[in-house]
Amino acid sequence: MSKLSAVKPAYWIAGVLLALSIVVPLLVSTYAKDEPRLWGFPFFYWYQLFWVFISAATVSISYRLVMSVERKRRAAQGLDGAADKEAEL
Amino acid sequence: MNDVDWVQLIIVIVIFAAVTVMGFMAARWRRTGELDSLDEWGLGGRGFGTFVTWFLLGGDLYTAYTFVAVPAAMYATGAISGFFAVPYTIVVYPIIFIFMSRLWSVSHRNGYVTPADFVGGRYGSRGLSLAVAVTGILATMPYIALQLVGMQAVFETMGLGGDNTLAKDLPLLIAFAVLAAYTYSSGLRAPAMIAFVKDGLIYLVIAAAILYLPGQLGGWDSIFDAAKTKMETTNPATGKPTGSFIPGEAGYSAYWTLALGSALALFMYPHSVTAVLSTKNRNVVRRNAAILPAYSLLLGLLALLGFMAIKANVNVKGLDGLANPQLAIPRLFDQEFPAWFAGIAFAAIAVGALVPAAIMSIAAANLFTRNIYRDFLKKDATPAQEAKVSKLASLLVKFGALVFVLGMDKTISLNLQLLGGIWILQTFPAIVVGLFTRWFHRWALLAGWAVAMVFGTISAYNVINPATKKHFGGSLANIPFTETQVYIGLTAFGINLIVTIVLTLILRALNVPSGEDATHSTDYLADAGDPGVKDLSELLDEGGAAPAKS
Repeated sequence: MSKLSAVKPAYWIAGVLLALSIVVPLLVSTYAKDEPRLWGFPFFYWYQLFWVFISAATVSISYRLVMSVERKRRAAQGLDGAADKEAEL
Repeated sequence: MNDVDWVQLIIVIVIFAAVTVMGFMAARWRRTGELDSLDEWGLGGRGFGTFVTWFLLGGDLYTAYTFVAVPAAMYATGAISGFFAVPYTIVVYPIIFIFMSRLWSVSHRNGYVTPADFVGGRYGSRGLSLAVAVTGILATMPYIALQLVGMQAVFETMGLGGDNTLAKDLPLLIAFAVLAAYTYSSGLRAPAMIAFVKDGLIYLVIAAAILYLPGQLGGWDSIFDAAKTKMETTNPATGKPTGSFIPGEAGYSAYWTLALGSALALFMYPHSVTAVLSTKNRNVVRRNAAILPAYSLLLGLLALLGFMAIKANVNVKGLDGLANPQLAIPRLFDQEFPAWFAGIAFAAIAVGALVPAAIMSIAAANLFTRNIYRDFLKKDATPAQEAKVSKLASLLVKFGALVFVLGMDKTISLNLQLLGGIWILQTFPAIVVGLFTRWFHRWALLAGWAVAMVFGTISAYNVINPATKKHFGGSLANIPFTETQVYIGLTAFGINLIVTIVLTLILRALNVPSGEDATHSTDYLADAGDPGVKDLSELLDEGGAAPAKS
């Protein structure tokens, strides 16, 4: 199992990214203001819409990190699941 | 307003008819076996990949009611009651990323169809499983009813209705009969297929609205300024500002607790779990957590249509002469778009109601079949009997929702939907915490759930609407003994956790038996193709969930 502990940082980074994506959008005091406006959108509104993109990115990165760990673990256990096969539809 | 708009009506009927044909044809889509088991009928054969799931979950979670109610809330009272949906749907995906794959894995290795199946197997407690199942059914029924309310708003705007009760309710009756028929015959495949049309239409309508309407209404700046002016105006009924344009300091806790509480609750709803369990491997749901935010963007833009309705000064008087903010969006489309495009938009909302209503009725029916019928009434039910009971239960559930909408005041459905969100959140400790640890004692979980259900219901009842002086006036209340206003569901959730933890400590100290665990730690990481992850034929032979093992 010593090989596995070498990849653990991936889990850590994924965890931190996910935690940030849950906590930061809920810190209302950081964005409850009108200025600066962007294309007429008050800061309050465009900032939250912008977070949709940030969150999509952090979740994608977390997915890649977690998958790399899981693939190694599964390979070490001799399992070859459908984990990395993505068939369409 | 009583004249029927024929262009709109014909477009809606044509699209509706096309969707109906698809619904029936879906029975043959990607079929692997007969539709006589819950895995086939109720989970679409458990074979949906990333792409189908994206549409299915999108169609399932972002319902017609959401599309009407969120902008309606923005129109009526602004950001706190409306725009919280955006942070809500942002934080929900990192949250489900963390635990949903585990639920998929353990369900597939043990043949679980519902969240209550998992809870029953994990804690060796049919009582706890029953509590989860009943909560799920109670929370889902009013949600289905509200899909009909969304449809009704559209029909009313098209001029259908009037004083004659039959003429007023007939479109809704037809729509529901059709929905019931193809759900019965095709199961989960029907909404999965129709979801493509629904989402295609919705994206088209929103794109058009966002690109076209601001130009018509004088630009985004003036739309936001009109909203700001309205929200800051004093409401004569309450003596307070009409709503919140940007939450003030006192509104922060309400805003974030609504978002967080709703996010925690969303995937406890049986219809969300049904869609997740219908995917074909444990990573489909994680990949979807990264791409589903596209819908959140859509929802955010849609919410802003509520502000456009303010700027456009739409008339929200219903046929009964009373102001009804739910009409804001249909009326905005009616007023600002050419008739043919308004027709497409209305069809999008009507079809948008069918997809979640179908999935919800299937999910509620699965709960009834597995956790009430099979666990308590007929313990040796075969898969074919389960599928049959589920099909009938799905009809019953829809019929119940219809009676609700036609027979009772609309506000009752709204109140129950509000309560449903509070209730369903109380199953979170048993389901999600149970996925990681079995430390919580089963009776402690049951007690925590019961206390939180009672607390949540009473708190919600005690909220008085400042304008109408009626009970169930909203989902916000002060945390007991403080002045901090938060979402009642989250307060109840906190109480739930405290009761569960304290009682767990006591029950463990007294050595009260904690029941047998039918799951194994490796179950939570299993994937399709692994040994022990059953494919359909094996599940059918065994008749679903394996009995308790050590």
